[in-house]
Amino acid sequence: MNSVVVLEAKGIKKHFGGVIALSNGNLQCRKGRITGLLGANGSGKSTLSKIIAGVYRADGGEMRYNGKVVHYRNPHEARRDGIALVFQNLSLVPDLTVWQNIVLGVEKNRGLFLDNQSAKELSRKILQQLLPDLDINRKVHELSPGEMQIVEIAKAISENPQLLILDEPTAALEQTQVKNLFDYMRNLAQQGVAMIFTSHRLWEVMEICDDVTIFRNGEDVATIDFEKEGKDPEKIVSYITGEVKKSTIQVQRREVSDEVLLKVNITGKDKVLKDVSFELRKGEILGIGGLAGQGQQELIYALSGSYPGVRCEVELNGRKLRLSRPADAIQNGILLVPGDRQREGLSLEHSIYNNMIFPKLGLRRHPLFIPEAQYCQECEQIARLLSIKAPGIDAPVNTLSGGNQQKVVVGKWLSFDIKVLLLADPAKGVDVGAKRDLYEYIVNLAKEKKIGVILYASDNEELIQYTDRLLIMYEGRIVATLTGADINDDMITATSMRVR
Amino acid sequence: MNEVSKTGNVFYTFKGLLLKPEVSSFLIFIIMFVITATLQESFFTVKSIVRNINAFTPLILLAMGQAVVIVAGGLDLSSGAALSLFTCVLTTVMKRNDPVTGIYAILVTFAVAILVGMVNGVGIGYLRIPPVIVTFATSYMWLGIALFLRPTPGGESVDWFRAFYKIDAVAGAPAVLKTIGTFIPPALVLLIIGCLLWFIISKTRTGRYIYAVGSNIESAYVSGIDTARTQMLACIINSVFIFLAALFFVGQNQSGDARMGGPLTLKSIAAVVVGGISLTGGRGSVYFALLGALTLSFVNKIIFFANIPNAYQTLVSGIIIIVAIAGPAYVMFSKPKQ
Amino acid sequence: MNTVMSRPKFLSFRIYEKYKKIVVVFILIVLLFVFGATTLPNFLSVEQVFMTIKLASFTALFALCQMIVIAGGGSGLDLSVGYTATITAVLTASIMDGKNEPLLLAVLIALALGVMIGLANGVLTSYLKLPPLVVTLAIADILQGIVNAYVAGKAITGRPSPILVTIAAKFTGKFPNILFVLILVTSITMIILNKTKWGQILFGVGANERTAYLSGINVKKVRCIAFTVSGVLSSLMGLLLLGNMGIAFKDMGSNYVLPSIAAVVIGGVSLAGGEGNYLGVILGAIFLQTLTNLLIAFGLGDAGKWLGFGIILFAMLSAYASNRRSR
Repeated sequence: MNSVVVLEAKGIKKHFGGVIALSNGNLQCRKGRITGLLGANGSGKSTLSKIIAGVYRADGGEMRYNGKVVHYRNPHEARRDGIALVFQNLSLVPDLTVWQNIVLGVEKNRGLFLDNQSAKELSRKILQQLLPDLDINRKVHELSPGEMQIVEIAKAISENPQLLILDEPTAALEQTQVKNLFDYMRNLAQQGVAMIFTSHRLWEVMEICDDVTIFRNGEDVATIDFEKEGKDPEKIVSYITGEVKKSTIQVQRREVSDEVLLKVNITGKDKVLKDVSFELRKGEILGIGGLAGQGQQELIYALSGSYPGVRCEVELNGRKLRLSRPADAIQNGILLVPGDRQREGLSLEHSIYNNMIFPKLGLRRHPLFIPEAQYCQECEQIARLLSIKAPGIDAPVNTLSGGNQQKVVVGKWLSFDIKVLLLADPAKGVDVGAKRDLYEYIVNLAKEKKIGVILYASDNEELIQYTDRLLIMYEGRIVATLTGADINDDMITATSMRVR
Repeated sequence: MNEVSKTGNVFYTFKGLLLKPEVSSFLIFIIMFVITATLQESFFTVKSIVRNINAFTPLILLAMGQAVVIVAGGLDLSSGAALSLFTCVLTTVMKRNDPVTGIYAILVTFAVAILVGMVNGVGIGYLRIPPVIVTFATSYMWLGIALFLRPTPGGESVDWFRAFYKIDAVAGAPAVLKTIGTFIPPALVLLIIGCLLWFIISKTRTGRYIYAVGSNIESAYVSGIDTARTQMLACIINSVFIFLAALFFVGQNQSGDARMGGPLTLKSIAAVVVGGISLTGGRGSVYFALLGALTLSFVNKIIFFANIPNAYQTLVSGIIIIVAIAGPAYVMFSKPKQ
Repeated sequence: MNTVMSRPKFLSFRIYEKYKKIVVVFILIVLLFVFGATTLPNFLSVEQVFMTIKLASFTALFALCQMIVIAGGGSGLDLSVGYTATITAVLTASIMDGKNEPLLLAVLIALALGVMIGLANGVLTSYLKLPPLVVTLAIADILQGIVNAYVAGKAITGRPSPILVTIAAKFTGKFPNILFVLILVTSITMIILNKTKWGQILFGVGANERTAYLSGINVKKVRCIAFTVSGVLSSLMGLLLLGNMGIAFKDMGSNYVLPSIAAVVIGGVSLAGGEGNYLGVILGAIFLQTLTNLLIAFGLGDAGKWLGFGIILFAMLSAYASNRRSR
């Protein structure tokens, strides 16, 4: 089916300060077709979507919409032309209601005042197909992340766009919500809407898209039409990473010692995290899985002493401890790599050096004067060890890429005596290459230093690939423990949904 | 199947109800109202009510204006200084013996008010300077200009300007108006004008955008809202409220004073907080700022009736303010915004 | 991108950024001086310059209080510095009564007052999470009330100890003694902020509260201590102000509040916290004082001073804001 070209982008260039995000971006979108965009973080795919939607302005190249050359100065202009971008929960106003958000920025008037009646009707109509049980009068801040994402989608659709851009819309969604979304997208495609769909999850792209364009290092490197060329995940991954060798999804189940490192007992009257008990063995990588939002993140934070809603008591190598503040955990070698590296792991304007030495300063017996020479040396050693790409340890952390930033976050703890490493979705938003580096490092650490690792990952693939044992959580409790061959997609999904 | 939207059942428990900022601020208001009414014997007489309305009006107007700016995500530390400035402008333009200058004064001061709002608005909305600091700076600008106009309190006012305070003080006013004026003081009319102003705005796009911008400015921007203009409009609306208060003040005192407004700034902010409006913006009803101002005013009356000597009044009111904001703020901050 | 390499510190980004802002202020001061020298006689005399520095030192010391609180983040500001100084001056004046012996007692009282007021500010802002702007303003109100009540119509008696007068008001040769105090304070401050863990922890808390918390820092305690230090410093400033003026009076400190904040802003310190270079702040204070001198010399008095300050502060804020804006 060779339908009309709705959008054509040629040779798009974009730079932010000194960093080149796009050197040569090309893309074609056709009526009624869903085009996938794949690529590592920093490859330019997100930048291109945003340029098309008018969020950024291109520095070079040409964009034609319905044959006409266009330069959008802001998202509003693009919207008026019929191009709508679905954000990742970035365009909702928390204190307004669902329906107020759906028409936000494009409200219609009845006489001198706002026409709320028709706004509400429109909202109901759209949500009917996406999420029929949602009360449109609820304030957005009361919704779950999945519901918020759906409202974002409804907002984009509300003006009947000709081109709909969905930038990682599935990140916060449940399986069933993803299914509903894909059904709705197919519906839209039949009505002639063109769509751009980006995701880090390869199988999603293969399922819903008609063709895919792959980006690497600021330019598109390949376009694959699924109808004509079929779906070959290996080939796609090789285009993304640019490496010839196949990505080995080899699952190694390692030998784990029987020695118990940590016994955990969490109790309390919290809404999200209920009573949880388990053990962690030396050298073991223990995964925490399940549907999103069942208390996994809270569990990780509780173990790091930063979730005051529960009582967290542990026994570390036989010593009983109560973890009520982060300092309690840190003093004992229980160290956290937080989920949101920019908001929780780093001080963005400070240098790599400042960030890395910071947790040390909070330790009880730290001297008043900072031993700069010694710390500089240590910091550089760690930077080399983790292959952090930067001009020097004095570079501010906000000039680094996401993957390197995450390495700094991990690097903070490497000079500590690590007993337990807690990871809250460490590879979120990190590109394939850096992700692999990171996990390889952690696995080695666990094997050699015999530390325990507790890993929460939102991507089941990571859990399958790297964990020795997997705890499935549901409504704040552990409902299943998977080991060995049971750690696979089927079992994970089944136990997450309490089917087995 | 798996994601069940929780209905807002927090509202169906008593504790939940109490935690809603509006409810707790309303309760505090009722308590203060009752205490004041019991302490002052003549509380429910017309004369006393009128006197109270006159005393409370400046703070109420300032508080409502402040609420608009705060809901839009800003804060105005210059409102007291602006009030002083407007009184100085009024009494500089007016000449006692020329009634027409009263009209000129109103027009000129209104223009000044719009200008003041625009300056603050540019600082907060377009230049994106933290509101606390920029209005701190502008408060000194207004003070400086006011001192230029009126180095010492004084100035002139036309006779009919008294109508903004007490109609029967105006020689030659029609008898009908005078009688109405004893029941419905001009201050009340000014208040109604203010409320009407906000009522109309709240039903328009600007009204909703003020809440959107205060709630999450990035989301508002990305949704195509001109956030800078919205915040500037909020500052201008605030200026109009302050303008109304200035009319009342000059009507009452017939003079302008460059420093009279200073203490009112903090009180207006406190009134907003006591009214259950979040200082972070995006939430709360502007009418509740009215309630907050009333609550604070009642507290002042209670202090007065408790016979605390004058010297201690600032001390006590400072303490009251801390307590007043600690209470609701404590409740509010325990519910973090996402 | 390059692989990891370490270069000598003075070529790295951060240092360049820091000094860039200071250079801007310095140029501004030079401009003002040139303007003054060409339009007014005596402007560039040695006495004038040192007089300016002397007056600026007081502002700079108050500005240190602000800088510490601001660096700790969380919209920190201390609007009570003025009245803290005033109340200390008023209460200790009669104790000292012009003699040197009670000076120690006066200092102890000043410290006690500073700690109390600073702790009050700290607890209310950090532990009760009330906005610092409103809290410190209210505390200033309360202190003003106490001063009013204490004074209640009668004149304030008491004179500062001669030692205080020497330190605050007198000169050694051409140099004002307060300058030596400033130099001492500056050295101690720079060392503490840049070389000790206290300084780095303060900046870390200001830069990202959540990260600092997860790194095991007690954020509330740090911010509370920052306010306490501010309280103590401004209280001690009260003694110095008293030494400089010779008597205590009701509005002694309140004229320093705006300039203390303005000096910080002009000095290039971010109001969001997380960083701070005291040298820039000192230059900011000198800039403000020079500006005041110019305004007074042109006969613009009080009105002109406030208007001028307000406009300058607004202009500086706009300049820095346009650097920060990223869309």
